[in-house]
Amino acid sequence: MTTPDAAPVVGQSVPRLEVREKLTGRAQYVADLYRPRMLHGAILGSPHAHARIKSYDVSAARAAPGVHCVLTGEDFGDHRMGAFIKDEHAIAKGKVRYVGEPVAVVAAETEAQARAAARLVEVEYEELPAILTPAAALAPGAAVIHEELASYFKVFDAVCGGNVCSRTELAEGDVERGFRESDLFVEGRYRTQPQAHVSLEPCGALAEVDAAGRVTLWSANQSVFRVQANVCESLGLPMSRLRCLTPRVGAGFGNKMEAHVQPIVVKLALATGRPVRLVLTREEDFEIVRARHPFEVRVRTGVKRDGTFVAREVEVLLDGGAYADDSPGVLGYSLLMARGPYRIPHTRCRGTLVYTNKLRFGAFRGFGNPQVTFATETQIDEIAAQLGIDPVEIRRRNALGADDRWFGGQALASNGLPECIDVAERESGWNARAAARAAPGRRRGLGFACTAHIGGLLGTGAIVRMLEDGTVVLNTGAVDIGQGSDTVLTQIVAEALKLPLDQVSVASPDTDGSPYNWGTTASRVTYTTGRAVLAAAREVERQVKAHAAEMLECAEADLELLPGGAVGLKGVPGKTLPFVAISARAHWRKGGPIVGTNTWVFDRPTVDPKRAVATGLPFPQIGVYSFGAVAAEVEVDEVTGQVAVLRAWTVADVGRAINRASVEGQLEGAFAQGLGFALFEALVFDGPRLANPTLMDYKVPTSLEVPYELHAHIVEHPEPDGPFGAKGVGEIGINAVAAAIANAVAAATGARLRELPLTGERVLGALAAAAANTG
Amino acid sequence: MSALAHLHRPATIEEAVRLLAAGDGERVRLLAGGATLVAMMNAELVDPAELVSLAAIAELRGIRALADGGLRIGAMTRHRETAAEARLAGAAAVLREAAARIANPVVRNMGTIGGSIAFADPAADYPPALVAADAAVEIAGRRGRRQVPAREFFVDWFATALAPGEMVTAVLLAPPAPGRGSYDKLCRVSGDFAIASVALSVAWRDGACERVGLAVGGCGPRPLHLDEADALLRSGRLGEAAARRAGELLAAAADPLEDVRASAAYRRRVIPRMVERAVAQARAQLEANR
Amino acid sequence: MSTRRPLALRVNRAEHELFAAPGDTLLTALRDALGFTGAKRGCNQGACGACTVLVDDEPVRACLTLAHECAGREIVTIEGAAGAAQALQAAFEEAGAVQCGFCTPGMILTAAAMLERTPRPSADEVRAGLSGNLCRCSGYRKIVDAVLRAAETGAP
Ligand SMILES: Cc1cc2nc3c(=O)[nH]c(=O)nc-3n(C[C@H](O)[C@H](O)[C@H](O)COP(=O)(O)OP(=O)(O)OC[C@H]3O[C@@H](n4cnc5c(N)ncnc54)[C@H](O)[C@@H]3O)c2cc1C
Ligand code: FES
Ligand code: FES
Repeated sequence: MTTPDAAPVVGQSVPRLEVREKLTGRAQYVADLYRPRMLHGAILGSPHAHARIKSYDVSAARAAPGVHCVLTGEDFGDHRMGAFIKDEHAIAKGKVRYVGEPVAVVAAETEAQARAAARLVEVEYEELPAILTPAAALAPGAAVIHEELASYFKVFDAVCGGNVCSRTELAEGDVERGFRESDLFVEGRYRTQPQAHVSLEPCGALAEVDAAGRVTLWSANQSVFRVQANVCESLGLPMSRLRCLTPRVGAGFGNKMEAHVQPIVVKLALATGRPVRLVLTREEDFEIVRARHPFEVRVRTGVKRDGTFVAREVEVLLDGGAYADDSPGVLGYSLLMARGPYRIPHTRCRGTLVYTNKLRFGAFRGFGNPQVTFATETQIDEIAAQLGIDPVEIRRRNALGADDRWFGGQALASNGLPECIDVAERESGWNARAAARAAPGRRRGLGFACTAHIGGLLGTGAIVRMLEDGTVVLNTGAVDIGQGSDTVLTQIVAEALKLPLDQVSVASPDTDGSPYNWGTTASRVTYTTGRAVLAAAREVERQVKAHAAEMLECAEADLELLPGGAVGLKGVPGKTLPFVAISARAHWRKGGPIVGTNTWVFDRPTVDPKRAVATGLPFPQIGVYSFGAVAAEVEVDEVTGQVAVLRAWTVADVGRAINRASVEGQLEGAFAQGLGFALFEALVFDGPRLANPTLMDYKVPTSLEVPYELHAHIVEHPEPDGPFGAKGVGEIGINAVAAAIANAVAAATGARLRELPLTGERVLGALAAAAANTG
Repeated sequence: MSALAHLHRPATIEEAVRLLAAGDGERVRLLAGGATLVAMMNAELVDPAELVSLAAIAELRGIRALADGGLRIGAMTRHRETAAEARLAGAAAVLREAAARIANPVVRNMGTIGGSIAFADPAADYPPALVAADAAVEIAGRRGRRQVPAREFFVDWFATALAPGEMVTAVLLAPPAPGRGSYDKLCRVSGDFAIASVALSVAWRDGACERVGLAVGGCGPRPLHLDEADALLRSGRLGEAAARRAGELLAAAADPLEDVRASAAYRRRVIPRMVERAVAQARAQLEANR
Repeated sequence: MSTRRPLALRVNRAEHELFAAPGDTLLTALRDALGFTGAKRGCNQGACGACTVLVDDEPVRACLTLAHECAGREIVTIEGAAGAAQALQAAFEEAGAVQCGFCTPGMILTAAAMLERTPRPSADEVRAGLSGNLCRCSGYRKIVDAVLRAAETGAP
């Protein structure tokens, strides 16, 4: 990819830098890495949801062919990890808390030998009552899943006890007064199901120990730094003893952000002194990593007769599964999003997160937002119907405007919501929708929903280093999980330094050499890391100009960057210096090599205490809002109740699209994932056991479920401090999809469903009920 | 670790049967397209010691016309070939339509009709189609060949009329008759196994139904079929009342499971609705033909 | 007990000698014995399509095919992409149809076989043709567009 004249690259649909490698099969994911004398790991999972481990017998497994080592909880020290609450060992120790939880691990010469040996480990258990629902967890006298919860280290002021992992509350205004002032209120209970990430690449890791006992770890991950922290915390290792690297990652939608098998693999490598690789089977990937939280949501919204929103009360109950993982964050974030992108002066949101004996639930694209948005955005349609106001119109009337603030009190530096609504309305032909005609035996409907999402949080850094020949290398530590951040960050550097793209290279994240980056998650890389990258590039520009000023004997202010890697004296065409000359000088004679660095941490408070009160909120500093609207047209089969999405429009205000094709790709992919969430994806538990941990039984959308008419539209309301105005896009596209589809189903059938997924079974039932009501 | 020690590749059916008879059904298995068997081996659900690949047996391949005008579909015929077979027309189109709804293009390029029916997954697509079309299954064993009507071939959950040591060699169809064959499959996403499916095969002449075969898949241990329902539809000339009654009878006879795809109640509920739709479509075509 | 036996496989127009147990799948042989890691393991059950390769020009699941069944046949993996597959590679790049890339090799080979049979498919034919290859990143739109684009450029 050469742009010889260095035309602007920001805003272009530049192909992925690594695209050829992915197209030709050369891209290496963790399963494609082989090391000399590498062993293979395998896991024995718990057959019980809740049991005390009485004893192990590993003799048969140790004696099995090819086996080098067998480890159980006894071989791991008492160290715990956790993003918010440190409640999890690297492997079950003392107790098991969900079916499938690793209880023993083996390293052997071949994968088959390791798996066979793992099955030979004998474990004696004393079964404990399994807590399988939030209600059971909260029942008086319920068995306690984490007896030592009180003593666990917590990174925030967690309100917890018993099986309650965390309670959070956020309120603004006076909700009782708000309801008194309302002409009408609508209340509903909504439920969402657990959804599996199904990153196409299963989780895996490969660890190798050097002669000094220091470990190098490659793994499928969303942050080499979170991997480093989790492994070191759970194994009691100093962080300086572990180097984390990343191969290509076959997508992560939150499932690869916190630990999976990395601690186990590092322990096996330390125990054997040999490289060890362990890649989960698809079944294990379903059973032992993490999934999207099932939510129970109660929403009550008070409105004026003219459609003005006045008050809202939300209560959520989250099943967190066996370990806290990112759950406290998901809870808090869902509450912060539960008012939606609207003015509702009096709002109170409360939530409870409980432990159960199930797979941990954690981060998944949207981070709690799709669940609450399903509830709140379908309720808005119910309100609109009761008031006889058009669903788009009622949203427009209540939408946050330029001077409005987010729930909690943050100012909105950019807000493209009204334009998103306009675009989705126009492109979907909203106002002509009554004309849509269905084939006999089918019904059609168009649905609408809005959303917002944040993209600014936590710490990040960037190093832009000029090489001797004047080209540059960018090093951020941000893992490109397939969403394209390497390309986007490179575009930012190329634009800032007016370099052709092929004169900027990207260093692969490395905890030894990269600046800290919390992770590729929460829609944050383009905005948060992009800012650091731009600042580091500007620092390079400053240094380059300082050199040039000395070399040309002029003032720095009279210099400008010229396309293609040069500095010139403004208005004097002949007076130019190529970067190579400047960099050579810096390297060999004067000043030292040119390196621009920047690090920062997002520090705007989430809540303004003068406006709102919050308790148990685990993220004091997040912000920067993207906005979105979705319209979906569905067709319902009257015979079976099955829903097909025929066309869809997904619109997002991303500030500035650094790479348009990548932004569209995010919106389209998020829509498809939201469609699966809306219509059929569901992890089904048969008692404590996952009944569908395979891709034969757990279905994700294929090319036939996602409509070809899937239209992504980009709206650009620049964020003043974003890189070239950019803000986040990774998650915004999923939040409103289920609500838009549910609203379309209601429009088509008159049937309002408050539980996901909208299976044929549920829709057929609702159709019959609706027919009975009207007939 | 896999116990598999031998992968045989016999060139004739007789040799395959001989190799098969050396085992007890668990130890020695036939390998057709592998789409089910290798998947089960990968999941460590089965662990045969010997496999007998049918890939080299020419007689098992392809679809050919029989002397009486009927069709013989070799056991190793891929779903893709069956889905593209133009001679499966009229009443026999039910089989072609069912084949086209199995899995996805790549799996259809691997899986075979013999492997599918021998495995007899109650949610599979061929079994109800074969029952509706009133096909026969040709079987080879140590004592030679025999034929079993499809309506007797499927006996229980994953169980067939195959005796130990026997294999499927072909599916046999009567000479194609004018009429309509249709296969309606209800599934969560394309390529999934059926929640429920309705196979309908109607042969007609001069505007009158000569033969009706109706079978429901995915709703019990074997394809759901009632002679009484077929007779009702034939005598009732695919009329609305007959369709309703046939659907009710089948729903009442169904023995569906609750599984990750759907509840038993939903399956019972959609059977008559899907039957009525299939019959209505056939009726419309019949009337248009008149 | 399974013992590994010599096996000659013709992969990407070249002969390769290897040892494989009777139960080893083509996917295992390609990846572990021959280093053709472009074929990916997403499920090992035939359900995701990431392992799709061509055998005698037809797409198959390498995870469901036994290596010893492939002796004497012509195997093509993404590393040996030629003809339509190359046109597809270019079109995928231009259309922005690659995100994480884990599905890409299987998609391209499946699409290549489809274009051999149906050189000028409609969008719906492409959707049906690729329906056994899962992509969790893209929403498929850009993939379908890429295949349509390749069909156009590859047309006589
Ligand atoms: C992703 C995926 C999706 C699928 N979806 C569907 C679907 O929607 N509908 C559907 O109907 N099927 C579906 N299938 C199953 C598919 O149709 C299989 O191809 C079929 O069930 C088995 O055929 P096979 O030729 O691959 O048999 P194999 O897997 O080789 O064998 C299956 C079993 O039959 C035995 N066997 C094979 N041939 C014979 C014979 N001639 N005589 C006696 N026994 C024999 C074998 O020993 C084995 O026990 C799906 C499979 C996959 C992988
Ligand atoms: S790995 Fe073969 S289809 Fe998924
Ligand atoms: S690009 Fe990631 S699965 Fe398709």
